[in-house]
Amino acid sequence: MEIKGSVALVTGGGNGIGEAVVKHLAKAGAKVAVVDMVQKNIDRVVKDIKAMGGEAVGIQANVTSEADTARYIKGTIEAFGQLNIAVSCAGIIRDGTMLSLDKETGKVSKKLGLDKWQAVIDTNLTGTFLTMRDAAEAMVNGGWQGLLVPISSVNKVGQVGQINYSSAKVADALMPKIIVGEFLMRGIRNIRCVAIAPGYTATPMLTGMNQDALKAILEDVHLGRLVAPEEIASLISYCVENEALNATTIEITGGLCYPKGIAK
Amino acid sequence: MPSLLYNDMQFSVEPSGDRWDITYRLPSGASALAAAGLFPGLSEADAAVRALALVKTIFPVGIKSVGPDVTHPNRIGDLKIVGPDVTHPNFIYWDKDSVSSPKTL
Ligand SMILES: NC(=O)c1ccc[n+]([C@@H]2O[C@H](COP(=O)([O-])OP(=O)(O)OC[C@H]3O[C@@H](n4cnc5c(N)ncnc54)[C@H](O)[C@@H]3O)[C@@H](O)[C@H]2O)c1
Repeated sequence: MEIKGSVALVTGGGNGIGEAVVKHLAKAGAKVAVVDMVQKNIDRVVKDIKAMGGEAVGIQANVTSEADTARYIKGTIEAFGQLNIAVSCAGIIRDGTMLSLDKETGKVSKKLGLDKWQAVIDTNLTGTFLTMRDAAEAMVNGGWQGLLVPISSVNKVGQVGQINYSSAKVADALMPKIIVGEFLMRGIRNIRCVAIAPGYTATPMLTGMNQDALKAILEDVHLGRLVAPEEIASLISYCVENEALNATTIEITGGLCYPKGIAK
Repeated sequence: MPSLLYNDMQFSVEPSGDRWDITYRLPSGASALAAAGLFPGLSEADAAVRALALVKTIFPVGIKSVGPDVTHPNRIGDLKIVGPDVTHPNFIYWDKDSVSSPKTL
């Protein structure tokens, strides 16, 4: 599929990876919808795209809401007449171990709260499901060629301290196989689905973290640095253009390894 | 530069070369960019029609109730009665009248 002239919607497009993706697609000639919860970030990204000579609509919305999802899908189609690419970058972390023990007694002193579990599942899994579902509905009904891109994470393998996040991200990584299998079953041939599982990426969240902790993370990365958000954006653009990529999850980690050299 | 008043929100459709930008006022008074570089080649009147259709889609009229609204209690003597929290940005409280649909009580 050609990027130029296509229409892309990116949730979480106001920051980090989503911002890089939406700008990369706009630069390549796509008309874009920037969906985010934070209006000032939407404003900044829409202004930048305008400065590049691109076409953009900014829609403040919460991806966990079914009504909001319908609104940003409809808004994108109202603005640009079609929808071809949907990238689900909106995501959050609320880390913590399932149980914490009291050092003295060895008994459980704290449990991971349902609030931390639910917020991450709602945003990273239900939010992705809603965007993928409603974008696919629009693409099927409109008869448009399309690509659905859930954003997973390399921590889909199971990261300690992230039972909520890893559970959501492993489910996101499964989506392409299920969605494309169902498309085949239903005779839907115009839409592909490819998930992206980034490794540690240079978004403000990571670059701003404790520099010693960051150094420790980088010791396990073969590339020796964080992945740049633009590198993920360029991989997504490649997925748009290469139609043989389908029903799979692609890792982009710079070679993240378990300590002692086993690739994660 | 057409200006639209829709659901008590003020939108402007501003030219940018042969395209159009849509800005609107946030409740804080600040200006926000709803869209940029849209409707290439359309006339001002056509762009205004398309812009209105778009803002109606992005900002549908409606209300969403999410729990007790402790910031707007109805007071009866010492008693504070809290209703549902209506989070639609354009919900009009009794003490703030609508501009586009003035109260006619
Ligand atoms: N940064 C990394 O190292 C990394 C690694 C692997 C996977 N990821 C995944 O990539 C995606 C983007 O991560 P990032 O690092 O760019 O994060 P980020 O925090 O920089 O950006 C996420 C954006 O999503 C928006 N958002 C959050 N909740 C939302 C909601 N309910 N509705 C609408 N918007 C919402 C935020 O406002 C923010 O603009 C996430 O899904 C994340 O899990 C990131």
